Amino acid sequence: MQKYVLRRVLFAVPVLVLSSLIVFGLMRVMPGDALTVLMGESGNVGERELAKLRKDLGLDRPYHEQYALWLWQMVSLNPGDSIFTNEPIVVSLRKAIPVTLELAALAMIIGLVVAVPIGVLSATRQDTASDYAGRVVAVSGLSLPDFWLGTLVITFAAIWFHWIPPIGYVSLWESPWRNLQQFLLPAAVLGFRLSAATMRMTRSTVLEVLREDYVRTAWAKGLEGRIVVYKHALKNALIPVVTIVGGQLGVLLAGTVVVETIFALPGMGRLTVEAILYRDYPVVQTNVMLVAATLVTLNLMIDLTYAWLDPRIRYR
Amino acid sequence: MATVPVRVATFDAPEVATISSTRMLLLAMRRKPLGAVSAALLVMIVFMAVFAPVLAPYDPLATQPEIRLSAPSRAHPFGTDDIGRDVLSRIIYGARISLWVGLLAVGIGTAAGMVIGLLCGYCEGRVDLVFQRVMDAIQAIPALVLALAIVSVLRPNTTNAMLAIAMVIIPGNSRIVRGAVLSAKQNRYVEAAQAIGCRHLRIILGHILPNVTAPILVIASIWLGNAILIEATLSFLGVGTQPPTPSWGLMLSSTGRAFMEQAPWLAIFPGLAISLAVFGFNLFGDTLRDAWDPKLRRK
Repeated sequence: MQKYVLRRVLFAVPVLVLSSLIVFGLMRVMPGDALTVLMGESGNVGERELAKLRKDLGLDRPYHEQYALWLWQMVSLNPGDSIFTNEPIVVSLRKAIPVTLELAALAMIIGLVVAVPIGVLSATRQDTASDYAGRVVAVSGLSLPDFWLGTLVITFAAIWFHWIPPIGYVSLWESPWRNLQQFLLPAAVLGFRLSAATMRMTRSTVLEVLREDYVRTAWAKGLEGRIVVYKHALKNALIPVVTIVGGQLGVLLAGTVVVETIFALPGMGRLTVEAILYRDYPVVQTNVMLVAATLVTLNLMIDLTYAWLDPRIRYR
Repeated sequence: MATVPVRVATFDAPEVATISSTRMLLLAMRRKPLGAVSAALLVMIVFMAVFAPVLAPYDPLATQPEIRLSAPSRAHPFGTDDIGRDVLSRIIYGARISLWVGLLAVGIGTAAGMVIGLLCGYCEGRVDLVFQRVMDAIQAIPALVLALAIVSVLRPNTTNAMLAIAMVIIPGNSRIVRGAVLSAKQNRYVEAAQAIGCRHLRIILGHILPNVTAPILVIASIWLGNAILIEATLSFLGVGTQPPTPSWGLMLSSTGRAFMEQAPWLAIFPGLAISLAVFGFNLFGDTLRDAWDPKLRRK
């Protein structure tokens, strides 16, 4: 197992380094540097101020030095300041990360709570009206854009119930009720999108498992249907479902970008979109790198969990 | 095994191999009527995009402030927006942007992915290792976030959104092609071609490429739906197509959200157009896979 862990960690390191190179390179492919573009567009910054700013940000150094410096800043958790607000990026991240984490966790819970029971129902009642209904829900979850669903939810909540989610973020510890009011709709929108793939996977794996010999044995010895499905079949059917859920982390993180923008939640996604719109390059490169690092780490952890659960994987 | 081609299948299953790929698609559609529905949806969207000037009742850019925000009526079936432009005409013209971006992005992404996949799968060894790690690194960044970052660097407009989407498509496509090439290389006729001294280019183009076209077409059709969705999302976030060009995502964000309580139709119809297009392409991709996947076909 130790050997396997070491090998996987060693594979993850070059991926992270290459990702950082891509992000760093991307921010510098433009003719001229970020600052010239940014300030040139405003038109009211003198050449001398520009040179000073460039020096302060280290943009006058050779690329390899800039990259090394940025990498060091990222590793030492001090990625510099935003060029738009002058706020240290760490401070804005400290405010934004809990929002995104809460949204993502709630969305994941809602997604699973919706997906697994409907998936099981679809499978146990294959080709009936409830199966078709479940499948329609799944396909619409895949096709309805989350930004449209979010817009519709806000519109119709306002028209029909004269209710709009409270504006101005309040943390869970300050006022749990107000916080829940702010998060429930966006998490539901995001969760619905996530549930689609999980639902399809649950349906097909439960269908597969229900045809296994040991399930037939369970039926044959006269067990109650509920016990056969939930205790015997579902347990094994859930293994590939966990894989799908793990693979959705990217969708989840991308989804928060859109949903946070629509519901005005001050999370990582909104921070990134705003930084992109204002061309705040230090913030963009830090955020994108952070997302990539999070995904690589989470995927590594999921892989290691599998290897721990299923010894066959380690010896491949 | 997923990539055993139509032509090669003649050796294994002659009775199936005589059916052309178009006929297989038609058969699959008859078996699964939803496939036919998806094809009808796609035909409708393409028709809308091609004949937009004939089909649109009004000029999509012509403003009529005196009828601003008017509800759907006989004259304006989808209503008008905040400066009195006809929403139906804008949606019909919007199909052009969506389809154009989708087709070009998927075309570029697929072509680049195919070249990389062919190279990696055929050469293996170090080239493969290096390219695959780069693809891993690109895939480590979620598609939308990467597209956003690329557009922010290149300047937000339709062409750059298209390039960003193409970039996002490359890694996944190259993986699929690589896998297909690796399995195609196991075929004896490839070995025979190598043994009689065929040049690499001829082996790749003449013997391996025909084997990977089916999976490429399937994955491209699925990506088309996603590309349309990403374009709409980028435009919605303000970094894709810029006003006044009619794009579905932009219509939803610029007027749809601002006037959603007064004029909900501004949010409903563009969103419906995006959903139907994405739904159509996703379903069509599924149908293509059912029809062309040799494993599913033999059953």
